[in-house]
Amino acid sequence: MIACVLIPGFELRAALRSRPGLELEPAALVPEPGTEALLGPVTVAAEAEGVRAGMRLGEALAACPQLVLVDPDPAAVEREWEGVLRRLEDAGIAVEPVEPGVVVFETRGVERLYGGVAAALRRALAAVGTAWDPRAGAAGRRFAALAAASVARPGQILVVEEKDERDFLAPLPLTLLPLPRERYAELEGLGVRRLGELAALPGGAVAERLGPEGRRAWQLARGGERRRVHGRAPAVELAEALSFPEAVANELTLRRALAALLARLLARPERAGRPLRKVALAARLVTGGSWRRTVTLREATAEQARLRAALGPKLADLPAPVLELRLEAVELAEHTGTQLALVEPGGKELEGRLREGLRQVRASTGTGSVCAVVEVAPWSRIPEARALVVPRDV
Amino acid sequence: MRGAGRGPATSRLNAPRPALVEAHVDGSPRLVNRQRVVLVREEWRVVDRWWTEEPVNRRYFEVVLESGENACVYRDAEAGCWFSQRA
Repeated sequence: MIACVLIPGFELRAALRSRPGLELEPAALVPEPGTEALLGPVTVAAEAEGVRAGMRLGEALAACPQLVLVDPDPAAVEREWEGVLRRLEDAGIAVEPVEPGVVVFETRGVERLYGGVAAALRRALAAVGTAWDPRAGAAGRRFAALAAASVARPGQILVVEEKDERDFLAPLPLTLLPLPRERYAELEGLGVRRLGELAALPGGAVAERLGPEGRRAWQLARGGERRRVHGRAPAVELAEALSFPEAVANELTLRRALAALLARLLARPERAGRPLRKVALAARLVTGGSWRRTVTLREATAEQARLRAALGPKLADLPAPVLELRLEAVELAEHTGTQLALVEPGGKELEGRLREGLRQVRASTGTGSVCAVVEVAPWSRIPEARALVVPRDV
Repeated sequence: MRGAGRGPATSRLNAPRPALVEAHVDGSPRLVNRQRVVLVREEWRVVDRWWTEEPVNRRYFEVVLESGENACVYRDAEAGCWFSQRA
């Protein structure tokens, strides 16, 4: 069976870890800057005041003037979520994280260890910890397991047998499906309010009316596809941090700090010569929140210059001055060397590679970033009249 | 120079950039971008397009600065300003 452990509102709970008193107050996670002004998860006290996740900010403040707005803390989310996953792994469970607050795993490996599915799920909930109010569900397919965990109460375990899945899903609300808000409204307008009602419709008609996302939702309402759970590769614990005596906003200083962090990280003996595949840059901000960006490198590397080139531009996204900069090696490659070509590529192959490289530059930096030099008057005595730089599409 | 419509801009290669130059009485540069000139390697004039609305009258100097850097600057006699440019 596939099991799912769910912690609703994980981002808010993680952000409130550093402000413990607020858990019992009406509080809500504010949206990320630059996104639509819709509230994130809310506390139970806020729900009691009529505030709901996904509500407009102005509407929520009108309903509950004493609502405390909590800034997102992605670094805390990452840290706490990693802690939850490691505790589950320590219990012998090979986890596949879906998103912060949702993790799935295959129960077959731990059923015999703990004496049954229910016992394994109880162990998983204990490993997560009661402070997070986790709930668990198990079923033959992922979506049914997620649905079971979604309707379970905190600390409860809900196991749905494979033969009962369709009956179990039928009365559940459509909000369990990953659909945009306007789609729910559209479906409600058509009189479809439950998963069973959606599942009963012909698949072709749903796809025609709602497009590919509607088709996917229809498939999920019927239980979803059978996909195996792949336990994640154990995360590496390689990180370097640099604290500043006072908040820093100067990009040059931050770039120097990044270079120092890279040098320290690459010198760590635990790396054992393996190049970095995925790195994360995190910062503690002077405003009290945090910031984090993850970069997956197209080609794993341990070259400082290439890593600096990949991470440096991210520093420009920092929303506020920084108190601490942290660099984490999220994933290391398994190999220690790079296979070089015996014969240097030439002719069409080289041209193809060059074209592909230019295409990638253009895709990442936008139109006009790839230019050609066109000679217009090479004989001219005026240097700037000899050639033009003309943007070109690759 | 701008391309037509909203497309990306076409620009001149090696366009001159304004330079901060202090000159001797004879017109040769003494300081270029706050660096002392230690050697004037070459000097030449470009006079062109005198028959048009935009005549060109430049006095070029290829110099070596105290940091060891080579620089090429010119004084535009029409505008009365100094520019740096790779000749």
